[in-house]
Amino acid sequence: MHTGQIPILRIGTTLLASIQVELRDTTAQAFQEDVLKAIEKTRSRGLVIDITGLDMVDTFVARILTDTGRMAKLMGTETVLVGMRPEVAATLVRMGFSMQGVHTALNVDEGLALLPLLQSSQARS
Amino acid sequence: MTSTLEYMNKLGFTEQELASRRAYFQLADEDLARLAALRPFAERHNDAIVDAFYQELILKHSESRLFFTDQATLQRAITAQKRYFLELFSGAADLGYLENRLRVGTTHQRIGVAPKWYLGAYAHYLRLITERLLDEQGGSADTQAKVRSLQKIIFFDMAIAIETYIAAGLDALARHQAAIRELSTPVIQLYERVLLLPLIGTIDTARAVQVMESVLVRVVERQAKVIILDIAGVPVVDTRVANHLLQTTEAVRLLGASTVLTGISPQVAQTMVQLGVDLSKMHTRASLEEGLELALGLTGRCIRSKEG
Repeated sequence: MHTGQIPILRIGTTLLASIQVELRDTTAQAFQEDVLKAIEKTRSRGLVIDITGLDMVDTFVARILTDTGRMAKLMGTETVLVGMRPEVAATLVRMGFSMQGVHTALNVDEGLALLPLLQSSQARS
Repeated sequence: MTSTLEYMNKLGFTEQELASRRAYFQLADEDLARLAALRPFAERHNDAIVDAFYQELILKHSESRLFFTDQATLQRAITAQKRYFLELFSGAADLGYLENRLRVGTTHQRIGVAPKWYLGAYAHYLRLITERLLDEQGGSADTQAKVRSLQKIIFFDMAIAIETYIAAGLDALARHQAAIRELSTPVIQLYERVLLLPLIGTIDTARAVQVMESVLVRVVERQAKVIILDIAGVPVVDTRVANHLLQTTEAVRLLGASTVLTGISPQVAQTMVQLGVDLSKMHTRASLEEGLELALGLTGRCIRSKEG
């Protein structure tokens, strides 16, 4: 199902990707492709990306993650980014990159809880 | 309290530094050998010199006398002093010697012996011991060389002591600054998953960075859903402060939590709109009370009156 190093797990109609390795430019791009293919294949409606394991997120990776969310949305899937570390958030904001439009939650649990709310508001609009 | 070893590192006291220091003070091996050879002389006179030194100098001055409130302290100081002076004649000026001198410096700084007391006392000691040396051994070229060696090691010593004073002073300053920083960002848990940071006083860039860091760390640590920033105690809220608050809000959002800004006075509201600062992305409320209600609402709770 995927070519990169990041496992994408399916839980019901939701996909969970937990990034535990440092994301380099190529792994980040491979990850984006894997996620989109997994959405197509499993017809999932929600995606949770856990970045608790990342101590560093540069603007390139941040952009890939933001774009992945947008792309997933085009395919009808809502994305929640969870577990960002304080120092990562501070650095991104200071660089003026605040990942507009990305939904966030503190941890995987809350990300999973947020998905139904996002999905129902999407259905309404 | 910083340990002697940490000071050794802080002051960069390494073998290399030691060698360069000895070269600068021209403290050669011959000097150390001369001092070692003087040890029997020093041992013979040490007690009398230190006693005279206390009677003539330290106990005569009302300020320096204050350090010795009781007999036991005085005795302890005299014993330490005797040891300190004898160590000049150990024939060594290695890292162990540096460490030893440094420990004396930090002790002096801690108990409040000012550099002037230390330097004045050392000058007095040098005078006393030189007089005895000249009395006993005459003014030959050899004795002159011994006096010079003694001067060298004493100045070598004083440099270490003064540097230690400065390092210990800076250390105390850094501890106070850390305490003040800690006090300036007290993040309080108001309710389950609701935090409050009351901001009081001027917010400059350094403090804003500090505020953002402690807010983010606490939000993740406590897994808080909402943090209330109360700015009622901030005297001036200008574009810069507003931008710092916006940045903090955005960073908190990236973590998956929300910010509520409270304590917005009519004046602050006017300034924000006139400056064209867009705070529409933030939850804002006039008072902390309303902010708390909003924060509880965001965590799925509400405050209501008891019935009957």
